[in-house]
Amino acid sequence: MRRIIALIAVLTMVAVPVFAGKDNKITISGSTTVLPIAQACAEIFMDMNPEVNISVRGGGSSVGIAAIIAGTADIGDASRHINTKELNQARENGVNPYENIVANDGIAVVIHKNNPVHALTLAQLKDIYTGNIQNWKDLGGPNLPIVVISRDVSSGTFEVFNTIVLQNEKVLDGSLMLASNNAVATTTAETPGAIGYIGLGYLNDNLNTVQIEGIMPSKQTIQSMEYPISRTLHMYTNGAPKGLVKEFIDFILSVEGQEIVEEQGFISVD
Amino acid sequence: MKKVVLLMALLILATAFLNAATKMKMELWNRWTYEMYDGDVTKNELSLQRGYFRLEPTFGSNISGRFNVDFFSSDKDSDTDGAGLKIKYAYLDFKNLLPLKEATLTVGLMKTYFGTIYEYEYVVIEKDPSDLYKFAASADYGFGISGYFPKGFGNYAIAVYNGEGYKYTGSKINIALNPLVNIRITPVPGVTVGGSYFMKNKNNDQVDGEDNPSREDYTQFAGVMKLAYGPASILGQFLQKTTDKPHDDAYEEKTEQVISVLPVFKINEKFEIVGRYDMYDKNTDVDDEEDGSYDIMIGGCNYNIMRDEKNVPTLFVQVNFERIDYKAEDSKPVDQLMVQLRWIFSGVIN
Repeated sequence: MRRIIALIAVLTMVAVPVFAGKDNKITISGSTTVLPIAQACAEIFMDMNPEVNISVRGGGSSVGIAAIIAGTADIGDASRHINTKELNQARENGVNPYENIVANDGIAVVIHKNNPVHALTLAQLKDIYTGNIQNWKDLGGPNLPIVVISRDVSSGTFEVFNTIVLQNEKVLDGSLMLASNNAVATTTAETPGAIGYIGLGYLNDNLNTVQIEGIMPSKQTIQSMEYPISRTLHMYTNGAPKGLVKEFIDFILSVEGQEIVEEQGFISVD
Repeated sequence: MKKVVLLMALLILATAFLNAATKMKMELWNRWTYEMYDGDVTKNELSLQRGYFRLEPTFGSNISGRFNVDFFSSDKDSDTDGAGLKIKYAYLDFKNLLPLKEATLTVGLMKTYFGTIYEYEYVVIEKDPSDLYKFAASADYGFGISGYFPKGFGNYAIAVYNGEGYKYTGSKINIALNPLVNIRITPVPGVTVGGSYFMKNKNNDQVDGEDNPSREDYTQFAGVMKLAYGPASILGQFLQKTTDKPHDDAYEEKTEQVISVLPVFKINEKFEIVGRYDMYDKNTDVDDEEDGSYDIMIGGCNYNIMRDEKNVPTLFVQVNFERIDYKAEDSKPVDQLMVQLRWIFSGVIN
């Protein structure tokens, strides 16, 4: 027992310098959907506070949450809620994930610009992504095979789409599983017959946005959660934010920060 | 059960190459072991201690599988010389099949949810205490339900196994299945307590209608406590196994106990200091100097050279000094220095 106590004492002595205060640095990693908000806000915040250094990385929601659990990031961005397994793992590691909602978002369903189809139901969308509908002619469109484009299964965007649209059914074999919102937007714009889904901030004039259940994704329909594929975007911290991290998150939630959120194509939280 | 697992292994392998999201992972352990006893060098060996090849296919969002093959260059439990191969895992997970929220039904050659063996990540090079002191094998043929309590308050597992572990099949398996219960509670972040209860047995109770004197019944318990704060964590474990031979009147019931403490301190993202202290009492009714009991002390460090995007180390060096201190009078300790290079690569097929 004396040896155990000695070992703990040595480890405690080594621990003291590590618990010492951090410098003016914030590390952020995670969701590619939240990435533009984090980047834009970090740039402005650093301009306002030149002594502060904020590093922002993507990687996906799972990566952001894993970083909070491992203590390698101050903020973990996620476009989905933390799941029970992650929450359990975090608490076992002494981490208390705290969810800061920084924006609202809708997952827009997009098709090639020349495709005349303008509206789908959730059931039709599910049928497309599970392979039950494979040609646009079955949806009032041209006689053109549907090219299904999805996000990779580790992305938060996929998880939200999977829960709301697919209802946990498997995506059609042979679908293109792409790693980012940008990749989905570009591939859909370049592929006649393509259908994809992306965060609202990635919509552009090269794509047609489809109404879902007769509702177009917009600020009003997403803030009211009327649009069926709506979600909140999060920045996770270990416990309620403190110090510099709190200042940064408070900035994002301020009027100026929420204007940046809207400039990036997302919907403000208020 | 063996045929079911074989069929499942083939199914997983076949579908792995057809499925859109099959994860592949390979992990290799290159080790140098230098052992001394009483001033003499008793081992100075370079080995590929383990190589794990893993496939994890998904069959939609609710069904996934794991198939794991272990490669090794030597194994003390077999006469393999140069290279060996074992199937370690071959199971399917079914989610949302049961009315229980967050519950998973697992069938096949699966994890043994006893103590910490099912989640042990070899922070020190030495095996998990349940494995090292032969309380449980890390995998066994069986089926069970596992899941999480809401809001991160812990997890549970209830399972039934062959009980003999993944290395034994065929005539070495008796007809009794062995139940296990495992529970882990995290009331506040950083404090986890729990335990496991496993009833096992060896050899059939009866042979040709007669009581079998070689029948052995084991009652096993594990108590686990983990404390974590910032970069420091400490895992404590108490294991107890009671062995009885119900049809051998001359046999005296035996109780083995293990106390194991495993502290870890992360200096930074690259470097962590690790330690472990095990006290193994081979028979609580016999003086430690006579029953072959011993303590194990381990001190070392892990240096993470590379991590993946989820911060899991993928290339790292482990350096451990381990002393086995036998309690018997006039015995001398066995000292081992181990240096291990672990490297992991993974990807998604299709």
